[in-house]
Amino acid sequence: MKPILETRGLAAAYGATRALDGLDLTIPAGRIVALLGENGSGKSTLLKVIARIVEPAAGAVLFDGRPLAQLPRRETARRIAYVPQSVDLVFPIRSLDLVLQGRAPHARGFAADSPEDYRRALEAMRACDVEALAPRDASALSGGERRRVFLARALAQEAEIWLLDEPTSGLDPRHRLEFLATLARVHRERGTTVLFVTHEIDLAADLADAVILLRSGRALAQGAPPQALTPDTLRRAFSVEAVVEVDSAGRRHFVPVAPAD
Amino acid sequence: MNARAGAHPRARRRSLIVAALLLLALAALIGVAVGGVTLSWADLFAGRGEPATTARLLASLRLPRVALAALVGACLAVAGAALQALLKNPLADPFLLGTSGGAATGAALAALAGASPLVSPGAAFAGAVASSVAVAALARRGGRLDLQRLLLAGLIANAFFSAVLLAVFSVASVEAERNMLFWMMGSLSGSSWTRAAALVPYAAVGGTFLLLFAARLNLFVVGEENAAALGVDTERAKVQVFLAASLLTGAAVAFAGVIGFVGLLVPHAARAVAGNDQRVLLPVSGLAGAALLVMADAASRAAFAPAELPIGAITAAVGAPLFAWLLMRTP
Repeated sequence: MKPILETRGLAAAYGATRALDGLDLTIPAGRIVALLGENGSGKSTLLKVIARIVEPAAGAVLFDGRPLAQLPRRETARRIAYVPQSVDLVFPIRSLDLVLQGRAPHARGFAADSPEDYRRALEAMRACDVEALAPRDASALSGGERRRVFLARALAQEAEIWLLDEPTSGLDPRHRLEFLATLARVHRERGTTVLFVTHEIDLAADLADAVILLRSGRALAQGAPPQALTPDTLRRAFSVEAVVEVDSAGRRHFVPVAPAD
Repeated sequence: MNARAGAHPRARRRSLIVAALLLLALAALIGVAVGGVTLSWADLFAGRGEPATTARLLASLRLPRVALAALVGACLAVAGAALQALLKNPLADPFLLGTSGGAATGAALAALAGASPLVSPGAAFAGAVASSVAVAALARRGGRLDLQRLLLAGLIANAFFSAVLLAVFSVASVEAERNMLFWMMGSLSGSSWTRAAALVPYAAVGGTFLLLFAARLNLFVVGEENAAALGVDTERAKVQVFLAASLLTGAAVAFAGVIGFVGLLVPHAARAVAGNDQRVLLPVSGLAGAALLVMADAASRAAFAPAELPIGAITAAVGAPLFAWLLMRTP
């Protein structure tokens, strides 16, 4: 399968702290890929490097076989959408205006307010079931609502790749399921490549076509969930002993039972 | 309110700007009429006779003063609005962040060295940039600008620049006290058409640049990472906006001394009325800042006439309580 994203010896650092350390990865086009690893293993940093928020210290990200760094930044933003884990909104902002920002990379001088921009923003909000929230202040929305507003923004951005940082963290069971259903539906309809960070091993096994396990800024395992997620790889990635249980629907559940030595 | 509200931002922008222009026009009329000698409209518009001549004479002194006040107010308010958006910080203001102090020190040193008043904006600009760089360096922690550290760094910078100004004028000048008051509390008493005209190019360059940058500033309002993820070269953008804001601040300070709180007060008031789209907020802030300073200057002349209050005392009297209120509301 043709990879849409590859990393070659990718390294990134915050001051003296190494976040990525010679990372080699392949992300297939049109698939959902889960990024797993313990805190500080470099998952969020990898998303930020691909979104060009963080500059790599060494190595390269290849997009469609070309170095991403050679692509103009706006062009990158038209093709890769980044959905942060959380945003601290200091100033009030209308949800619709937040979604309209997704049109900024497409607009002259970043001024996204043509009738076409409005149409696409509202269409994206409809697809994510947040059209009714359009006039409301995004800083006053619940976590689940805000997550879906940001997903609508990624949709309005019309990017081929979505980078989602812990999209389900902090959501109650119902909002989590609703968010995942929306994500699965828009992925199916648009054929978008999705790379998401999560701490939910079960979710990765259930939702993702491929899984990448990170440890200390390097790839420990990558591949289809049954091959990449085993008691052995989980021990090495998370330093825990885990058992795998299969339920009546054939879904695999990972139960960490004890810290590994 | 429905999802379509604000679907015509250009029309909304036009009406808000027209309203702000009317406010400025009203302020200008007050500014020309009020002062040591208060003129009636009839005096001002009468064509003949001795009262008319007096009125015209006064108006010709007051008109350039109104023009300079308007330009200075616009520069400070636009700089404040742009900094607040860039730093995603409602407390950003050229005065509180020490930019004005740096500008005053630069301009005062140039004046002391005998430089022409026409180059003093350049010296003020250099001082403002130096101060911005130092304050940003002090406030940076773990690769990002920290709010608390930013305000503390501004405090440090202001204390330092006050000390430098005091020292310089104590030893060097016969007009020390008058000058010190001018640089530290601001004044428009030395206004002339020449000075007003000299400020225009600086205001035009800095203001135009920030207006063209307004849509990008909207992305910074949500955060720097947000702007980067949406295609803005944030490192370059930060330098450009800081330079433009320093240029506006430097120019304002060079011709009117340090006038605090305009850059804080005006964008907040404007945001409450016009919303937080920087393409609307920046021009509306500029016009409202111009109106505010013209009225503050009129108040400084009228309050204890014939004595004149430093204009910075007026803006601080209004601005400091507002700053306290904002500080309590900021998480």
